[in-house]
Amino acid sequence: MDTTQLLKGVLDLAVLAVLREEDGYGYDILRRLREAGLEEVGDASVYGTLRRLFAAGLLTTYVVPSESGPHRKYYSLNAAGRDQLTRSGKLWRSFATTMDTLLDDRGVAA
Amino acid sequence: MTVAEQEITDYVARVRAALADLPPGQRDELTEDLADHLTEVAAEAEGTLVERLGEPETYAAELRAAAGAAPGSGRNLDQRVASAMARVRGRLRAMDTRLGPPLGYETASDFLRLLRPAWWVLRGYLAAMLVTVITTGGEFGLLPRFGGELLAGLIMLIGFVLGSIWIGRRSAQLTRWPRSVVQVASVVLVVFAFAALIQAEDRMRYGDYGYDQTAVDSQYDRVRDVFVYDSEGRLVENARLFDQNGNPIRLGYPDCSEDAYEKQTLRAYPYCPEQAPFVPRAPGAPLPPVSPTSTSDPTSTPDPSGTPGETGTPLPTGTATGLPPSGTPTPTPTPTPTR
Repeated sequence: MDTTQLLKGVLDLAVLAVLREEDGYGYDILRRLREAGLEEVGDASVYGTLRRLFAAGLLTTYVVPSESGPHRKYYSLNAAGRDQLTRSGKLWRSFATTMDTLLDDRGVAA
Repeated sequence: MTVAEQEITDYVARVRAALADLPPGQRDELTEDLADHLTEVAAEAEGTLVERLGEPETYAAELRAAAGAAPGSGRNLDQRVASAMARVRGRLRAMDTRLGPPLGYETASDFLRLLRPAWWVLRGYLAAMLVTVITTGGEFGLLPRFGGELLAGLIMLIGFVLGSIWIGRRSAQLTRWPRSVVQVASVVLVVFAFAALIQAEDRMRYGDYGYDQTAVDSQYDRVRDVFVYDSEGRLVENARLFDQNGNPIRLGYPDCSEDAYEKQTLRAYPYCPEQAPFVPRAPGAPLPPVSPTSTSDPTSTPDPSGTPGETGTPLPTGTATGLPPSGTPTPTPTPTPTR
């Protein structure tokens, strides 16, 4: 089992969480995820996740014109997105607690 | 379009080709923002997109997984062909932009587009030449002829060139079938042009323009043997030729017998007496004088010691024939004693 496999399940949650603090454009979101420690996340994964969350109605977008570089498409959480983040966050925490307990009881080193 | 934009367009095209098996709506939804997104990525850091993001096919696979689309394991032939075509087209476009600047244009196709009217004119000429070759049965020069008629050929040339230009200017409006016909005809003409060029090149290199071969360096180049006849019309054997400085004149080469090869070192003509172009008029009388000398010669020619003497023998016969006129004055003195 490697991080890439784990990421598949929780990338939605990670992206939603990153967007909760501040709106961001694709590359900016990728950079924030990597800074947070998810170094193995790929550009295509983030882009695909953003497209899927947007299609599911959890995100809204707006374009910010730029003088120096290209126009940037910003993603932000809407109400549905925030709800989803709350629910997914709770689910993850209970899941993670269950896993921690399971491993602790059997003496697996952290 | 800049090189970076070109790169992004190609990258998106290859990603889309790799996602060709998805329903069109889903594929468009996934990739409609991709160009903008890649523009952002390109603006953030150095290096080509492939260096930073990997091959478009890998990117497409990751995108497919993240977006929750069905995995594209069963790619059929059409999709593989489409993705290969997209890749080839991308390469060609990259080459196009790379070759442009050395030519002084943004892309090589910008430069080639300027040459299109020249191609239309050339195409008309080639069509006229093809008709020339067909109507004259393979014979052709540089100007078109219709069945060998130059004037008709020139009229045909003008007509074909104007027609070719007309077709060229309207090629964008042509429907699929006429366009295919024009393309096939153009390919045929190009192949014909190459074949004709190769043939013309051969004819020029070997100087074969349908004329008889003529010696340009020396009019004696084609002389193979020399036959000397005396005033009586008899063939002179073992004749030797010299110029005004006493240098032997060397002409021809023996090709009739082994003996003749040995004689060649002595430069005595003819090499091959039996190939003499003229035979003495009276077969009975003049021939025997020739044949005895000729029969005595071959026996003596093999040993070199005999030949110096042999070269002398024709000379007396030559002087002997000349003698009678010079001898006639001598009889005139003889009457004087009777006087």
